[in-house]
Amino acid sequence: MDNTGPSRLTAIALTFMAVIWVSPFSWLILNAFNPLSTGQLEIPRAFGFDNFGLAVSGNAGRQFLNSFIIAAGTATLSVVVGISAAYPLSRLRIPGRNAFLWTLVLLRMLPSAGVLVPLYFAAQRSGLLNQLGVIIALTILNLPFTLLLLKNFFDTVPIELEEAAYVEGATLLQIVTKIVLPMSRAGIAVVWFFSFTGAWNEFLLPLIFARVQDAFPMSVGLYAAFGQQGAINYGFLTAFSILYAAPAIAVYFLLRRNMNTGFAGVGVKG
Amino acid sequence: MKNQVNPWLTGNLYVLVIGMLPAIVLIGALLYFTAWAFAFSFTDLALVGRKSVEWSWVGLENFERLFTRRGFLESLWTTVIFVFFSAIVGQSVLGFLLAATLRGTQSTLRTVVEVCIMLGWLLPDIVAAFLWSATTSQTGLINQLIVVPLGFPPINFINNYALPVVTIANIWKGTAWSYLLFSAALDSVSREVVEAAKVDGATPLQRIWLVQLPIIRPHIATNMLFITIWTFTYFPLIFAMTGGGPGRQTETLAVFLYNQSFSRGNLGFGSAISVAMLLIVGFLSLFYLRLLREPK
Repeated sequence: MDNTGPSRLTAIALTFMAVIWVSPFSWLILNAFNPLSTGQLEIPRAFGFDNFGLAVSGNAGRQFLNSFIIAAGTATLSVVVGISAAYPLSRLRIPGRNAFLWTLVLLRMLPSAGVLVPLYFAAQRSGLLNQLGVIIALTILNLPFTLLLLKNFFDTVPIELEEAAYVEGATLLQIVTKIVLPMSRAGIAVVWFFSFTGAWNEFLLPLIFARVQDAFPMSVGLYAAFGQQGAINYGFLTAFSILYAAPAIAVYFLLRRNMNTGFAGVGVKG
Repeated sequence: MKNQVNPWLTGNLYVLVIGMLPAIVLIGALLYFTAWAFAFSFTDLALVGRKSVEWSWVGLENFERLFTRRGFLESLWTTVIFVFFSAIVGQSVLGFLLAATLRGTQSTLRTVVEVCIMLGWLLPDIVAAFLWSATTSQTGLINQLIVVPLGFPPINFINNYALPVVTIANIWKGTAWSYLLFSAALDSVSREVVEAAKVDGATPLQRIWLVQLPIIRPHIATNMLFITIWTFTYFPLIFAMTGGGPGRQTETLAVFLYNQSFSRGNLGFGSAISVAMLLIVGFLSLFYLRLLREPK
């Protein structure tokens, strides 16, 4: 690392960039805290939380809950299914496993609109056109990436530690829960976070799966409100947008420490 | 790892296999659905109407339509421009410059910049679309702060410069990923190597170009692979901002696929588009993986 420190010019350039980067948020915040909002970019003449009150009550509140159920359900299911398969994948010498995993990831790059139709037909036939269906469908779509990442993280846990634990008389369950999982905690947090934000942001799949307004997550609810003709209540929409954006941002900052170490694992290996 | 027998694994083989079962079932489902999507591309299946029930095999007709009818090739070109400028030029280069610059910066400024660019990445697609529509509208931030004070009439950016606007919105949204990955990669370059180059009289530019870049080349290839593919198939931001319009100016392949499949209801033709996209993505991936594997 350079010990000279940053020049003043660099610091100014960086600050300038940061300001540009956050400037679009000004419109969102000015309108959300303005009960008399008209959707224009202006200094509000009034200040209040009325819009947020609207954004947590009634339908909007239910949509928040729906989004949370879908996101947390998908992330947890992905991680549990992923861990129980990625550990054997990492430790057992299964021929062609890397090629297989990469093929799956590649397959997953198929635009999700492509597999949407078969997914929809299958869900319809098994009566899963609901939140559980969305959770399972998103887990299916997530799994290749989850498996690849988790396997890479497990690969970095030195097998000597597990040997030592085995010699001390630890069972497989103990080895996994006491050594492997704690040591790859950062990686697991990253994978959980990816799945959570992915499912939280997901728009297309719930749009097709959620048939009734009660089942809408926030992404679909926002899009529906956004597209409404006539008088758009910008104050409500901006406050709703902030509430919608908040959890993913909060989860990131809670896991931030883990994230930065976890990212190294995304790197080269495969 | 050496090829050795690990008793706690071999003794519990059945437990491990049972653990893998749920994943195997779900992966099986994914393969099954994908195969189904492939099969659809050879049919005239429709979303509604008679052909949603009585569909028939049409052979390669859908694939012929890709090249004989207007739409696909235009969309492909739009997508190439969008991917090149927003992912490769925008996100990747900007992300690398930021990572390289911020390495030597004091921690507060670094945290502030990191948080700022992360906000874009963390923001849900639909909200980001909403935000950028407002920012580039006739009464939006850019017009009020730059265009009007300079004495020009307000410009309706989203109508007149749709592709540049969505490109910039995507750079704004996605740079954080490249930044984080390059940041982690640069951290893995040992200080001794960089110090040694410094002692030998390498300029800062040479240190980046001749020392750090070659070392993190695999990371660059991985990053390129991910962001190219993501951007290539990226749908919600453009769809929510412009719906592919005005006209077809921002109709990238993902939007074209959606419009054909779900607005026009041509599921068979839509499946052919996604098969074509998969082939293109597969080809690009092979190119990047080759970059990843082979030493110079």
